[in-house]
Amino acid sequence: MEKTNGGDIFLKPKICVLKSDGTNCDEELYYAFEKVGGDPELVHINEVRNKNVRFKDFQVIAFPGGFSYGDDIASGKILAVEMVSFLKEELENFRAKNGVIIGICNGFQTLIRTGLLPFGSLGKMDATLAPNDSGHFECRWVRLKKEKVNKCKFLQGDENIGWFAVNHGEGKLFAGNETIKTIEQSGLVVFRYVDENNRPTQKYPNNPNGSINAIAGICDPKGLVFGMMPHPEKFVDLTQYPNWRREKIEKPHGLFIFENIVKFARVAK
Amino acid sequence: MIQKVRVITKVGPDLKGIDILSDIHKMLGLKKVDKVISIKVYRLEGATEKQAKILAKQLLCEQINQSYSINKPFSHLPGSHLGGVAIDSAGVTIEIAYKPGVMNPEAASVLKAAKDLGIKLLAADSSYEYAFFGSITKEEIIKIVEKLKLYNPLIEHIVIEESKTLLIKGQPGKTNIIHIRDCSDKQLMEFSKDKLFLNLEEMKTIQKYFQKIKRDPTDVELETLAQTWSEHSGHKTFKADLIVDGKQKAPLIYRIKTEALKHKKNIVSAFEDNSGVMDFYDGWAINGKGETHNAPSSIEPYGGAMTGSGGVFRDVLATGQGAKNVISTDVFCFAPPEYPSKNLPAGTLPPLYLLKRVVAGVRDYGNRVGIPTSNGSVHFHQDFRARPTVLVGAYGIIPKKYAQKGKPELGDLIVVIGGKTGRDGIHGATFSSGEMTERTINVNSTAVQIGNAIEEKRVFDAILEARDNDLIRALQDCGGGGFSSSIGEIGESLGVTINLEKAPLKYPGLSPWEMWVSESQERMIIVLQKKNLRRFLRICEKYNVEASVIGKFDGSKKLNIYLEREKVCDLSMEFLHKGLPKKVLVARQETGNRKKSDTPPIPKNEGEWIHVLEKVLSHGNVCSKESIVRLYDHTVQGTSALPPFTGIKQDSPNDAVVIRPILDKPYGMIVSHGLNPVLNNIDPYWGSLWAATEAVANYAAVGGDYQEASLIENFIWPFPDEQSLWSLDQSVDAVVDFMKVLKIPVISGKDSLSSTYRGSAGVIKIPPVLCISVFGKLADVTKTISLDFKKVGSTIVLLGKQDLEMGGSTYFDVNGVLGDQVPKVDLKLLPEVLSTLHKAIKLRSILAAHDISEGGLITAIFEMCLGGRMGAELHLEGVKAHLRGNFLFNETAGCFIVEVKNEKMAEKLFRNLPYKIIGKTTSQFSISANGLFEADIKKLEKKWKKPMEEIFS
Repeated sequence: MEKTNGGDIFLKPKICVLKSDGTNCDEELYYAFEKVGGDPELVHINEVRNKNVRFKDFQVIAFPGGFSYGDDIASGKILAVEMVSFLKEELENFRAKNGVIIGICNGFQTLIRTGLLPFGSLGKMDATLAPNDSGHFECRWVRLKKEKVNKCKFLQGDENIGWFAVNHGEGKLFAGNETIKTIEQSGLVVFRYVDENNRPTQKYPNNPNGSINAIAGICDPKGLVFGMMPHPEKFVDLTQYPNWRREKIEKPHGLFIFENIVKFARVAK
Repeated sequence: MIQKVRVITKVGPDLKGIDILSDIHKMLGLKKVDKVISIKVYRLEGATEKQAKILAKQLLCEQINQSYSINKPFSHLPGSHLGGVAIDSAGVTIEIAYKPGVMNPEAASVLKAAKDLGIKLLAADSSYEYAFFGSITKEEIIKIVEKLKLYNPLIEHIVIEESKTLLIKGQPGKTNIIHIRDCSDKQLMEFSKDKLFLNLEEMKTIQKYFQKIKRDPTDVELETLAQTWSEHSGHKTFKADLIVDGKQKAPLIYRIKTEALKHKKNIVSAFEDNSGVMDFYDGWAINGKGETHNAPSSIEPYGGAMTGSGGVFRDVLATGQGAKNVISTDVFCFAPPEYPSKNLPAGTLPPLYLLKRVVAGVRDYGNRVGIPTSNGSVHFHQDFRARPTVLVGAYGIIPKKYAQKGKPELGDLIVVIGGKTGRDGIHGATFSSGEMTERTINVNSTAVQIGNAIEEKRVFDAILEARDNDLIRALQDCGGGGFSSSIGEIGESLGVTINLEKAPLKYPGLSPWEMWVSESQERMIIVLQKKNLRRFLRICEKYNVEASVIGKFDGSKKLNIYLEREKVCDLSMEFLHKGLPKKVLVARQETGNRKKSDTPPIPKNEGEWIHVLEKVLSHGNVCSKESIVRLYDHTVQGTSALPPFTGIKQDSPNDAVVIRPILDKPYGMIVSHGLNPVLNNIDPYWGSLWAATEAVANYAAVGGDYQEASLIENFIWPFPDEQSLWSLDQSVDAVVDFMKVLKIPVISGKDSLSSTYRGSAGVIKIPPVLCISVFGKLADVTKTISLDFKKVGSTIVLLGKQDLEMGGSTYFDVNGVLGDQVPKVDLKLLPEVLSTLHKAIKLRSILAAHDISEGGLITAIFEMCLGGRMGAELHLEGVKAHLRGNFLFNETAGCFIVEVKNEKMAEKLFRNLPYKIIGKTTSQFSISANGLFEADIKKLEKKWKKPMEEIFS
């Protein structure tokens, strides 16, 4: 860390890739952050619970995909209960410092169930990620559009369309009408599933789970907590994408998300 | 007191309920059920009603879309269901729960989360209640539930009476002395039947041994011997001396090993560890293993597939000092899903049920442990009705310096980690070595269990961290045979002392022998130096893995087992491991002339050609398996470089999988496989060569260099009577000859010789299956290709030499003909074809390639067209009119369809090999074979996708 007049600069922001029992997308998430110049560390939640590791030493906390505690009861539920029961203060202090929190797939499910998404209300659930309308787990690639207008501090910039892997059984964003309205009107929607014509879609399998308004990723009103069901970390190298042999890919489609997070986290707010 | 919390979906679809209703309407044709609603039930023991309410609100029920009710059924259906009709008045409810003693993985999660919320429960359980609506009685509903197999009575039951406690109590059983010294032969066999599965000679060997040492054995000792000497663990047939058609031949395993070890270039370890290990790059090695789990899967397919997966993953993990799993594969053989239930042999389950439940088991286990399931196949043949084949493969990566096990030393500790020991899975090893009979399903119910994938994942994480800290001397997985197998093996050279009371139990009441042979899942045995214990335990604690020291290496050369102070086993390692009498087995070819087979008529017109093509494409062995594959996670770990499906719509199937197991390196690991259950019945030698060639051709089609590959064999054969042993001998010869030709080794293998069913329906021999798997390395994954056609106007080439024999082909099968001659692979040509293809792909001269297998040449072209969403124009001028069917549908392994830029390129690449230019890619979405037919690919696609979509979507 270097001190400047404007604030702290972290040339290699520290990223806590938080594991629990059943996390299984941690290594590729670690790799994605490392690739774009972050300084990731794999941390087991027990190390945070026993205070060997503190969130305050990181600029980013990242919740990877997987099946935390087997996704028993509901996906991400047991981990969410654990976070709220034991790490509420740690998390609140981290948020007070304007730290970045992201969750992918099971990580997103966990963030929703802690209440951090959509409205940043730790301990109070406002939305849920329900079982896919297809009734089963889906492993396929879908196209996403990043909204031009959204609140996420590190995902500003032009509309952007790309391919992303989805691997989940419970990814349908669901909430009451009022909640959805608030999410939409506050600009919390960051990513949507789109069809061949780049229009948000409810049609299976382009929208793989039946998510309301084709919502695939959202942020909190402060724009510092972000979660999405698809897996950007699975497309940071060209060859990770199934059709790299036949399509022209300028740059792996998931990469910009990690670049932006790391760029943003370099400058402490 | 047990609090019962019910949770229901209040908004949004109740998917489970809808699913069941649709099955009732579609599968049973019963229209009088109007609605089914599923209700999740939690039982919480040791909580007050107030605490149950807290748990309902904060843990069990999400009030955004769910409602809960405590200790009573819902009086009204909330929200959108049936407009508020009361459930208890209008519907009939049935609750299905795991039987007491069957591990429900969710229970542990409920306990953990309740504790996190400050509520300490004594026990918990979860289950489902189903409410049925319509003019229907409870008796009718029970019939429906049974017909739809909504539960498996082996592990689940319909809850009739509320039990007062969820805790299982019991008094530990005693160790018994079995008086065998004075038994008659008949008494010995009576004792062995359904329990030890040993034959008379083996029982008499044991009897003699104990007569010699002048005492009777304990039940623990007998069980240990039965387990160690079982076919499953002892591989007696493969080690036996053979007399084949009157001539003496070396044991099967000897022949395989001897040839394999001649091709050592890449071998790190072969046939010594739990998987075969070969060299990779930069100080890394890769390992692989395949194993069947047919017996448990035949009676409880969901649990069987789960524990089968879990077991193979632990084999890969328990290689060297610990390897990381990076790929899993699944190969299934079933009877056709539409096979009529009334023709099923007694004691077997319907194939559709088996297929669905096995797929669900693979999905729920593999996805949770986070291993990409990225290669596999599904085959159908009616003779699998008596017992399916469920073969799971797993592949790993390991630093070469950890690829060998350390030798245990005097004083080293034996630690068990992971799951607790219960009564589940008892006699799995001996049971699977037995044949399937009508009694199997009733007698051996304890041989099945449900896996806990998260427990296994925790164990993975802990072991890999301990390995990287140099803490592990050696490790073994507790698979078939439990402690008996893993500790018996690891302790062979030095001898061990075990204290059984130190092993954590799921519940009290197990007898010592039960603890010893229990096959409870997710357990590993770790050998540690004493000085490393503390650090090892700390790592286990970090990952929530339970670890207990249960014994040590004592130098006695004996297996000494105690329960508290009582010695329950005192066996010499020498007798245990070397006392098994070597078998001499006789093999004989069945004589008698085989009937000359008919050949099917040649299609007469375009309509007939298209009709037969559609039948081939919708054949179970050829049709798309995409709707199964998409249930499995194949992108986890981020390593994929060639996934199961590519092409414009990502729906055409690749021949092999390529991954980059080290994310920041370009190094590739390729995995493929081959088998054909039909051909071995016609000709076991050439059928097996077909399977091996198909495996390696799949490997080469994506760009793999076979010289940098290793093989894994799995023989899944009927009980080795003289005739089946003869075909097995032929198959082994084929594998040995294959190694000779390609100069690459088999480095791991497994046999399962119990594919025979005996029952009132008579004897059914399940088709003999040889599955060859191939895995290997490639320096740069960007030098691999996919099968989808890339460009319109390219030249389509048939590379390799077809043998126009059609015995066992899909084309013959859809015409109701088996055939008597299988296509023979030209082994002289094969190495050159494979390496030429590899070199051409490496030079990027090939746009797409696909190996020819079931469904033949035309199927390969169809799949390539589909991927590129383009067509093909085929020229058959060079093929005689009466051979055009044979040509288009020919399945000779080792032949490829290759897309190259133009004819000149084909000539340049292949001029020294048999090749044919057979057509061009076109922008029309159709396949035309000049003059014979022009088939619309869209229509073919529908036929090809429909069979599995109907089952899985």
